[in-house]
Amino acid sequence: MNGYNFDWDVVARALPSMIQGLGLTLQITIITIVISMILAIPVAVGRMSKIEVIRWTAQGYIELFRCTPLLVQLFWIFYALPALTGVTLPGYVSALIALTANLTAFMAETYRSGFQSVPVEQVEAGRMLQLNRFQQLRYIIVPQAMRQQLPVILSLNISLFKDTALVSTIAVSDLMFVSNTISAQNYRALEIFTLAALIYFAIAFPVSLITSAIERRMQSTAGPGFKQGPNLLARMMPGTKVATS
Amino acid sequence: MTHINLEPQGETVAVPVHSRIPVDTGQVLVQARGLQKSFYHRSILKNVDFDMHRGDITVIIGKSGSGKSTLLRAIAGLTDPDAGEISIDGKTVFEGTTRTKDWAEASANVGMIFQTYTLWPHMNVLDNLTLAPRKTRGIAASEAKDRAESALDEVGMKQHILSRPTQLSGGERQRVAIARALMMKPKLLLCDEITSALDPPVAAEVLDVLRRLKEEDGIAVALVTHDMAFASKAADRLVFFHNGEIAVNATPEEAFDNCDNPDLKKFVDAVRF
Repeated sequence: MNGYNFDWDVVARALPSMIQGLGLTLQITIITIVISMILAIPVAVGRMSKIEVIRWTAQGYIELFRCTPLLVQLFWIFYALPALTGVTLPGYVSALIALTANLTAFMAETYRSGFQSVPVEQVEAGRMLQLNRFQQLRYIIVPQAMRQQLPVILSLNISLFKDTALVSTIAVSDLMFVSNTISAQNYRALEIFTLAALIYFAIAFPVSLITSAIERRMQSTAGPGFKQGPNLLARMMPGTKVATS
Repeated sequence: MTHINLEPQGETVAVPVHSRIPVDTGQVLVQARGLQKSFYHRSILKNVDFDMHRGDITVIIGKSGSGKSTLLRAIAGLTDPDAGEISIDGKTVFEGTTRTKDWAEASANVGMIFQTYTLWPHMNVLDNLTLAPRKTRGIAASEAKDRAESALDEVGMKQHILSRPTQLSGGERQRVAIARALMMKPKLLLCDEITSALDPPVAAEVLDVLRRLKEEDGIAVALVTHDMAFASKAADRLVFFHNGEIAVNATPEEAFDNCDNPDLKKFVDAVRF
């Protein structure tokens, strides 16, 4: 292999720092997901509003963040916003704002799609039983929409987890930033970035498996004659054929 | 005079005959005057006047798009008419182009069951029935459960109280939907083609539940159906919609035996075959 000599000692020495970086990565991921999942509800509702001003505002927000690169959004909030407001935000706060704003836009569209997948007659049945708008949303629409859109929501969360690597560009010491720093100090890019990739994979892959399992479970409840795979792991594996009789 | 033969052709549908309650003109539950509604410049309701009496079964028939479902939805408050007036239980709930302040109170007396199965699939039958009474009327869970058992018993579905809607057949789902509407103690049940997706024997069972509700609980029922046997045996009034207007509004005897409306005759012949 090009005469390359692996130095696994570097990996052992780097691991504690990288785990620390992973902690920050996970912290950013979890905070962003929690806030986005809450904020996306009013944005999705606004996107379906009969009042044009509200609908267009929600739509404009969604399109703005869907149609521009996350890196640009991150740089804009970190570098451009201070020029506009005179207030410089720390990298960590800028990262949280950019990632949350971005994920909220995608999550809102996912929610909207889920909300609209609930048959209108079910909502009308709720209206006829005197449930108000909030109760219709809380008890009829959201539970079904969430169930319907759960695989998409999990996929968005996996993407976000990987996209947090971009915050390293504004000096937030996440897993990627730490990996980059150690790699530069030791000239051991192969070992360090392979380890970084393995750590990202170790976190994202189980969530991906769960997403696949949920999709398969939804397929199994969608129609008659479904037979489950031989065991749990086999059922969770992406690409496993759905057996039907 | 045109005589319309209502003897069922082919498979017979068992609908019990019951004695008719005479129409009491002083007991108007629903009154609609001059209702108009258009969708995409197509007039669906054209100055429709419609009355329903307490405890009556009113069967509404007519071709698709003739305005019968729109009338039910207007009474239910799901579709606002473009013009007209609707009163429920003596209270004006819609006037001109807007709902009045009495709408919320009066509409609490109205239940509606739809053609498609509208049970919430993520809840079991018990939760489907108790959600609205608990959340909108503050009824305790234990009392709501008692009521649910009673309502399910009334429609012959008590044994399915913990079932999921997906575990029920079409007829069972519609009977649970009726029980769910009963939980709010309505004076009027609006039924929009609730048996159109069911086999005739199953449809007859569901319609029999409605007939019992009228006889035992005095609940008025407005039913859009193509079941002419039920219409002739159980209905107090029969309303025939044609092109957005009520072409015939009479007792079933008058409508079927002594009516010379050619559109009704043509419609009944088409439905029967």
